[in-house]
Amino acid sequence: MKNLKILLIEDDEIERMKFTRVLQKNNYTCKLQEATNGEEAVEILDDDTRTPDLILLDLNMPKMNGIEFLKSLKNNNKLKYIPVIILSTSNNHQDLKRCYEEGIAGYLVKPLKYEEYVEKIKSLIEYWGKNELISV
Amino acid sequence: MGELNANVLQRALAREKAARKQAEGILEDKSRELYEVAQELKEVLAKKSSELQGMSDNLVDAYVLMKVNGDVIEMNEAAKELFGYDINQEKLNVISLIYKDDFDYALESFQQLVTKGSFTDYVARAVTKSNGIRTVHINGSVIRDKDNKAIAAQGIVRDITDQIEAEKLKEELLKNLEQSNKELNDFAHVVSHDLKSPLRSMNALINWLKEDYEDKLDENAVTSFNALLNKIEKMDHMIDGILSYSSIDRNEKTGKKVSLDKVVSDILEMIYVPETFSINIHDTLPTMMGDRFRFQQLFQNIISNAIKYNDKEKGILDIKCNDIGSFWEITLADNGPGIPEAYHRKIFEIFQTAQDKSKSTGIGLSIVKKIVNMYGGEVDVSSEENKGTTFLFTLKKPSI
Repeated sequence: MKNLKILLIEDDEIERMKFTRVLQKNNYTCKLQEATNGEEAVEILDDDTRTPDLILLDLNMPKMNGIEFLKSLKNNNKLKYIPVIILSTSNNHQDLKRCYEEGIAGYLVKPLKYEEYVEKIKSLIEYWGKNELISV
Repeated sequence: MGELNANVLQRALAREKAARKQAEGILEDKSRELYEVAQELKEVLAKKSSELQGMSDNLVDAYVLMKVNGDVIEMNEAAKELFGYDINQEKLNVISLIYKDDFDYALESFQQLVTKGSFTDYVARAVTKSNGIRTVHINGSVIRDKDNKAIAAQGIVRDITDQIEAEKLKEELLKNLEQSNKELNDFAHVVSHDLKSPLRSMNALINWLKEDYEDKLDENAVTSFNALLNKIEKMDHMIDGILSYSSIDRNEKTGKKVSLDKVVSDILEMIYVPETFSINIHDTLPTMMGDRFRFQQLFQNIISNAIKYNDKEKGILDIKCNDIGSFWEITLADNGPGIPEAYHRKIFEIFQTAQDKSKSTGIGLSIVKKIVNMYGGEVDVSSEENKGTTFLFTLKKPSI
């Protein structure tokens, strides 16, 4: 499995801790960068040396929210190829549709139970670790 | 000669006198006849005009008769009351009744009245003496003489101010209602999601405590943590319930055919039905028009309640359907613990539950009621304690 470079955009501290913990407990050798909102993520993406292979994006965030971030990302010719997987509380049809319209690679609903979360994140990492990814 | 002449004269006079008398008699007869005819006419006229008077007085709407220059000749009681003028006491010209912003429109309509002979549905404001500015609806027509010259105009005037205001108010209310409904839905949506996220965190943190201190925690601590996790899960279910309750009337996909037979068989595949529990579908269920997901919620709530609360060795749920004219009547009868009568009305209200609080959120049946009502039906329950519960609901047949 490759060393995935992941950008996690999530405002909730516990959610970020959950993700880190899954990586640690399963000895995944991913390179993780964290941003607490869309603006911070834009800053990271502006730096060519920090371009991730994969973006995990929370929808409901202060300042620049998930959808806004997604739109600006898809308008960037260099960055629009990076697969974006949504991590959201909402399984609302409207939200799903808007995200897929913008062009996302996946949509995970955050489960209540931690063990279910672990399962979801493990399969996500393992799946994307086996994927061929391009960098422009 | 003089005597002769006098005689002739005398005779001629007498003849003339007689002739005149005769003529007078004839004239008298004629004039008597005329008088009688006139009397009869007068009576007829009086009768007709009192009939007309009666009609115009009895007219609920105001009636106005005017000369072509606008001078009012006649008004009925309703007109006097509406405009606050009595033409027996003061002269009134309709021009003085026209609200100044409506003047052009009024003249235009009056022009149309004269050229075409009538107008209908003239709606404008009138300045009245007694009631201030009122919005009136007028149908008018012209009265012509035998040379086809317009001599007068008449109109039926209806005061529609209150009606218009009521309509405006209704529209406003409706708009406000829509708005607050939407806000309420959005509110429930946002709040529910915001409430779910701390629950997720709590769940994770408790799990970490259990994982990280596994060797230090005794059985008591683990039990407490598990109880906490259960409470968190319950809370999460409630939030889901609020979410689905509040979003029932959103995103309606109407106009889609939904086979309730298919809906029920899909539910039975999806949910866990213990082997000791048998679900018997006695009749073919109808096809409805609407949102499939709502019908699924409707049946799934009742079916899973029946399974969840069943306390018999062999649980039974009988599903039947009757055609009762313009409605389908569907019954789901179980042999569970039953619901005490005191709760029969309450169970359809949100957050009310007849059962042990730890098992239920009290939202399911309120969703059932909301969906049934949405499809023009009613829901009812009958139950005997320890023997079972029957849910009966109607669904309005789709008009295809």
